[in-house]
Amino acid sequence: MQIRVLFFGQLKEITGVAQEDAELSEGARVDDLFERYGRRFPKLEEFRGSIATSVNQEYADWRTKLASGDEVAFLPPVSGG
Amino acid sequence: MAHSSDLILLVREKIDSQALVAKLKAPEDGAVVVFDGFVRNNFKGQRTQYLEYESYEVMAYAKMRKIGAEIHAKFPVHRVAIVHRLGRLEIGETSVLIAVTSAHRAAAFDACRYAIDTLKRVVPIWKKEFFAGGAIWAEGEKAGQEAISRGNESTS
Repeated sequence: MQIRVLFFGQLKEITGVAQEDAELSEGARVDDLFERYGRRFPKLEEFRGSIATSVNQEYADWRTKLASGDEVAFLPPVSGG
Repeated sequence: MAHSSDLILLVREKIDSQALVAKLKAPEDGAVVVFDGFVRNNFKGQRTQYLEYESYEVMAYAKMRKIGAEIHAKFPVHRVAIVHRLGRLEIGETSVLIAVTSAHRAAAFDACRYAIDTLKRVVPIWKKEFFAGGAIWAEGEKAGQEAISRGNESTS
């Protein structure tokens, strides 16, 4: 299944990826997706504890199961205001 | 209470706080409380040159609209404006403007405080500070639901 992946802020700088599509097997969860990027960009792992995730623009748990067409974002600590 | 007259915006141009507040006020109001957050010239002893804000805009809009709806559910207020600027901001320029109108002061104060505190925890916006010697991403708060309920859990 195809998932759209977005990175913001510091995470976008680490990966050099703002947005791309990833192919995952059925039943994959948010943390499976993150692990894939963690292997590609080992520095990401250092940030895992501070990262929030969203699925289709709603905050989501790392264990959230993904469906084809979902949009997943990895969000560093927010600092608006 | 209809929320159609609320003003929820992400903008790239300068925020004109006075014009925005003037537009929000209506004859049936008795109070407006405004939070005008602007760019400080220093961070931890370093002189800030300018800031850049970026956002996950679709989600940020959804979260800002949700804050507006929550305010109407929680406080007897008339209208809410939540406007955040993105892109490059110079020292002294407004980054966020929140204004709430109501018949009486208490609701407007409470709602305005709720809006800025919630925005800072929930709305996916990021600030990068630029100094003479380089740039850093601001230390923010871990985003999301855990953060929202933190206040309720602090005594448990």
